[in-house]
Amino acid sequence: MLKLTIDNRDIEVQNGDTILDAAEKLGIEIPTMCFLKDCDPSTSCMVCVVKVEGTNSLVPACATVVRDGMKVQSECPEVRQARTAALELLLSDHLGDCMGPCQIGCPATMDIPLMIRQIKAGELAEAIVTIKRDIALPAILGRICPAPCQKVCRRNSFDDCVSICLLKRYAADADLKSANPYMPGCKSANGKKIAIIGAGPAGLAAGYHLLQRGYACTIFDDHEKPGGMLQYEIGREELPQDILDKEIGMVFKLGVQFKGQSKIDGAGFDELRRDFDAVFVAVGPIKPDDAKRFGLEPSQKGIAADNKTYQTNLPGVFAGGDAVRNRKLAIRALADGKEAAFAIDQFVMGQEVTGIAKPFNSKIGKIAPDRIEDFMQGVSTEARVDPTEGDSGLADEQARLEAGRCMHCDCRKPDDCKLRIYAQSHGARAGRYSGERKAFTRQDDHAEIIFEQGKCIDCGLCIQIAARAKETLGLTYIGRGFSVKVSVPFDGTIAEGLRDTASQCAKACPTGALALKQQDQP
Amino acid sequence: MEQVDLTFVRDCISQTGREKHKVLRILQALQTNYGYLPQPALELVCELTEITPADIMGVSTFYNQFRHKPAGKYMISVCVGTACHIKGAERVYDAFKRHLGISGDNDTDDQGLFTVEKVTCNDTDDQGLFTVERIACIGCCTLAPAVKIDEITYGHVAVDTVSTVVNDFLRHAETKAAHRKKQKTKDSEKPPVGEIRISLDSCCISRGCGKLHQATLQALDQTGIRATVKRVGCVGMCYQTPLLEIVLPDGKSHLYARVEPRDARSIILRHFTVQGIGRKILSTVSHTLDSILTDESDQPITRYAIDVRDQPVADFFDRQKQIATEHCAVIEPVSLDEYTERGGFEALKKCVNQMSPKEVIEQVERSGLRGRGGAGFPTGFKWTTVRQADCEKKYLICNGDEGDPGAFMDRMLMESCPYRIIEGVAIAAYAVGAAECYFYIRAEYPLAMEQMKQAIDKCYENGYIGDKPDQFKANGFSLNLKIAAGAGAFVCGEETALMASIEGRRGMPRLRPPYPAQSGLWGKPTLINNAETYALVPWILRNSGDEFAKLGTEKSKGTKVFALAGKVARGALIEVPMGITIRQIVEDIGGGIDGGKRFKAVQIGGPSGGCVPAELTDISVDYESLIAAGAIMGSGGLVVLDETDCMVDIARYFLEFTQDQSCGKCTFCRIGTKRMLDILERLCHGKGKKGDIEQLLELAEMVKKGSLCGLGKTAPNPVISTIKYFRDEYEAHIEGRCPVGKCKELIEYSVTDDCVGCTLCAQHCPVDAIGMLPYQKHEIDNEKCIRCGTCRNVCPEDAIKVE
Repeated sequence: MLKLTIDNRDIEVQNGDTILDAAEKLGIEIPTMCFLKDCDPSTSCMVCVVKVEGTNSLVPACATVVRDGMKVQSECPEVRQARTAALELLLSDHLGDCMGPCQIGCPATMDIPLMIRQIKAGELAEAIVTIKRDIALPAILGRICPAPCQKVCRRNSFDDCVSICLLKRYAADADLKSANPYMPGCKSANGKKIAIIGAGPAGLAAGYHLLQRGYACTIFDDHEKPGGMLQYEIGREELPQDILDKEIGMVFKLGVQFKGQSKIDGAGFDELRRDFDAVFVAVGPIKPDDAKRFGLEPSQKGIAADNKTYQTNLPGVFAGGDAVRNRKLAIRALADGKEAAFAIDQFVMGQEVTGIAKPFNSKIGKIAPDRIEDFMQGVSTEARVDPTEGDSGLADEQARLEAGRCMHCDCRKPDDCKLRIYAQSHGARAGRYSGERKAFTRQDDHAEIIFEQGKCIDCGLCIQIAARAKETLGLTYIGRGFSVKVSVPFDGTIAEGLRDTASQCAKACPTGALALKQQDQP
Repeated sequence: MEQVDLTFVRDCISQTGREKHKVLRILQALQTNYGYLPQPALELVCELTEITPADIMGVSTFYNQFRHKPAGKYMISVCVGTACHIKGAERVYDAFKRHLGISGDNDTDDQGLFTVEKVTCNDTDDQGLFTVERIACIGCCTLAPAVKIDEITYGHVAVDTVSTVVNDFLRHAETKAAHRKKQKTKDSEKPPVGEIRISLDSCCISRGCGKLHQATLQALDQTGIRATVKRVGCVGMCYQTPLLEIVLPDGKSHLYARVEPRDARSIILRHFTVQGIGRKILSTVSHTLDSILTDESDQPITRYAIDVRDQPVADFFDRQKQIATEHCAVIEPVSLDEYTERGGFEALKKCVNQMSPKEVIEQVERSGLRGRGGAGFPTGFKWTTVRQADCEKKYLICNGDEGDPGAFMDRMLMESCPYRIIEGVAIAAYAVGAAECYFYIRAEYPLAMEQMKQAIDKCYENGYIGDKPDQFKANGFSLNLKIAAGAGAFVCGEETALMASIEGRRGMPRLRPPYPAQSGLWGKPTLINNAETYALVPWILRNSGDEFAKLGTEKSKGTKVFALAGKVARGALIEVPMGITIRQIVEDIGGGIDGGKRFKAVQIGGPSGGCVPAELTDISVDYESLIAAGAIMGSGGLVVLDETDCMVDIARYFLEFTQDQSCGKCTFCRIGTKRMLDILERLCHGKGKKGDIEQLLELAEMVKKGSLCGLGKTAPNPVISTIKYFRDEYEAHIEGRCPVGKCKELIEYSVTDDCVGCTLCAQHCPVDAIGMLPYQKHEIDNEKCIRCGTCRNVCPEDAIKVE
């Protein structure tokens, strides 16, 4: 047995064990990307570096064998700085979007590419789950949203954007029309109560999301009917009454209480603060003077609130939607409701109120015109379906056709890409180092997996796996140095290269370079 | 699919064998035969051997030597080593491409965002006659800029002599067959009247020693003088070549420098008497001529005759101490007899016959010898570790993969004294108990490979090595030597990468420990030392370790061979005792800066080393002092820089080299060095911004700390040391100025009023950026100008201004 310390904690290990083995025993988590149990350590990513006292350089924990009496530092600033630098260097040569431009462009960050894949596959029941995770009122939004997502759609650089908004509406309408429209599962009641002032998009969304988290929610509104600007400001030609009522009705069906015609004054507001665990102010546009009357600090646009946590100057009082921004953008108000719900949950549960963390995102940016072809592999080149006459929405066939036009810019491993996970946890900045990057390529010819070299970190796990399984062609490194890349020998396709080990390689791949096509359900 | 005759593949494999580790040899054979690696041939190799498609593609795309597309009939390799770089190799490369009408190799889009893969190689002319490529240092640094066309090396190539070089080569190619026939040597029945020595290592050959050799043989043939013509190894005085030395039977020696082939005859006649009557008549005429030539006042000969008594030559030799290079200029490199006559193999015999392995190692330990490959690890300690490793099978490796641009010591040693290296290797093998040794020699050194091969063959024939060789029958000593040829990858100088390469894999380093001494080649304990280290061993064993330890400083013992090149007056290969100062080397041995320029700095240690500014060159040459100054001993490249050299450009040059040579395994080296290079390129293009220097230093520290092997750990050194000593130049580049006028994008050429209208500049301008205006002041069109500097060089009035 050998003795060592990691971060001043003693541990004994077997002869031949690595620092990583020892850390695991101690429950110290060391990030690794290119390491995989049962494969030879490739010591490539260098994200697992640790400091061994008495040496100048840092060593990879995954392959450094323990010597007796070693003193290892795994959390010191030097190590953390190096790990972050390794991640930032990897990111500087990582050509991939974690989220598609559309998802970033969507204020509610709805997973649009996933929704489109589900629609294309005819899985409408799944599609509505994807939609309603972020958008409480999709059938309504499908009619009135100015669709910022479509403005940033990458397909614009080929011909015209995908009709995302219509596709969303298509899935939402189908759901509303069905016998049992989708109802999200709710956590059991936690006994906490939230008061929401205003039944517009922000208030409704907050109620919808808070209820799912186990809160009892009551929405107060001075109007008779819920809906706010949706109900009273938008023409019925654009937004038919039945759709409006039915979809808002779903929110109340879930369990949100509505108290119409209840005008809240200063005293009433104080009462709500006393009786409820938190208050969300979503009253729509409000004059700064009116805000003051509630004791709320005003801003130029209405109520001053933190733009991440939606907290106002009063403890337990949150504000969102047009009361804060006055943007007249329903999807933004809905997003506010969702995000405020998250922060309110943190507040009531006594956690640090941080709001929803902005997910780490690596971006390809503008695609060079000559690389568009790569992106268009397996993508329909048909013109955009955009029925302008009447208000019929998309027919089934049209929807499938239009869904086929999506370029699927998003990563297929948005949640288990180690690069993204560690970039997020280490606060790595994707744009820290700039310069020449890999080219974007996509190989889509394999039935099970998709291969995007631009996302590869050259760790070689897939090469090892294919070689061990004695794949006829397998994979290999081509070239060396910065321009090295993993490829199928003799210019073979990925389908020819990985006949037996495709899914194994995709699972081992630390990034989305090799990813299963069917891993859409989170 | 291309049509290729595959018979060769089958023949080749039946000779080399089917094992995985034969892949490099097979690929080298295919490339020699086909000129490139045709895919059908590679596929057939996979069918016939244990080599998989993944192996063969991985390996063949790792090494620079291999091409996957057909090349032109002739290969023009422009050396981009350090010495060549500072003397304008890039411009020469551009000039060749321009001359042959090959368009640029721009493969990046306008925004510089995306790189399009090189689908077509823009390196071959339309007729498919010439392919132009950059090649890693070919070790002919004193000839910089050097260009190799097939096997011929041209030295001092300039932008405006490119066409001459190409034409000369084409002429040579036509008459090549005829030349070959002529080469045969006659043995004389009578005892020779003396010896004529001509150095024929690869840089000397390219400076005309080959032609001189021919002319000498011809002159002897005509005059009937029975003098022995001997090819000897490097004399070290590269700046004086072609050198011809005449040694008379009484031992008197006469040395002639910079000899032209046409002078050979007169020099011979000066020292030897013509034999035979018929020839006497012939020689009467010549004798008259000769007497004129030997006249003291006569220029042609006296200009060439030099003598050790001359002050410059005395300076050159006096400070030196030859151990590794002992007898280099005296004996014929592959003559085993001459080596043994001068004490060769005595040390080995002494070790095997009279000493125990332990005693041998003790001597090496007492000598204080440290590895000459760069890091300076104590040699004796390494030997002990391998000796103590508990394993039946052990290997020995001689590292001759001298990849540092600007270094050519190992090449010279292998070309000029192959037996000394073999003897050193044999002693080491005896000491550590290994019976098999690989000489790993880089692809760019064909002559070194040939000389080593011949020497090894002779050692086998004469019973010095082999299974229980004749010379050591009684002692049970056995040693087999093999040559493994590198294929163009600097990183293979790193010991774990080198071993991967011998095993037939991509030359990727791995984490140490385990060290090769514990688990090396094929997992066996392996002793790996540099060629120069081995070359020092026989002297140590002959003269004792204590004797060696008397030379040098407290921690750095003995001598070190340096390749002195760059802007120095006497570019040379030198061996000096440790502890000498850098200034002594540059000024005394090297004769100071060439052309009256100001001495600015010395780059020591190549891409792993650093720049020591002129003010600090009084430091002693030893491992510790050099590291303290921000450089390293490295393998011994010493490139002198003058006031016209831009330090940012030098840093960029080295980073470009290491970045290009990185194996690509670990993040810090693969991407980190690239990002550093990106910044340096920005600076050299005038696109630097505030904070660049800080980010460079920060990246440098990360790359140093986090890289896996020595290549990455030392790659930032040239950047760190130039920022440390020349930060003002970096700052100037951020402001868009290159203080010395080197960085193309930051300078403009113009003609001053000193112009006399001689039109020379217009005649020489390769891109017609200067109009022909006889007797008028000329003008430079800066749109067309490619900043090649030709006009500045040819202007007799110094009327070209650069700013």
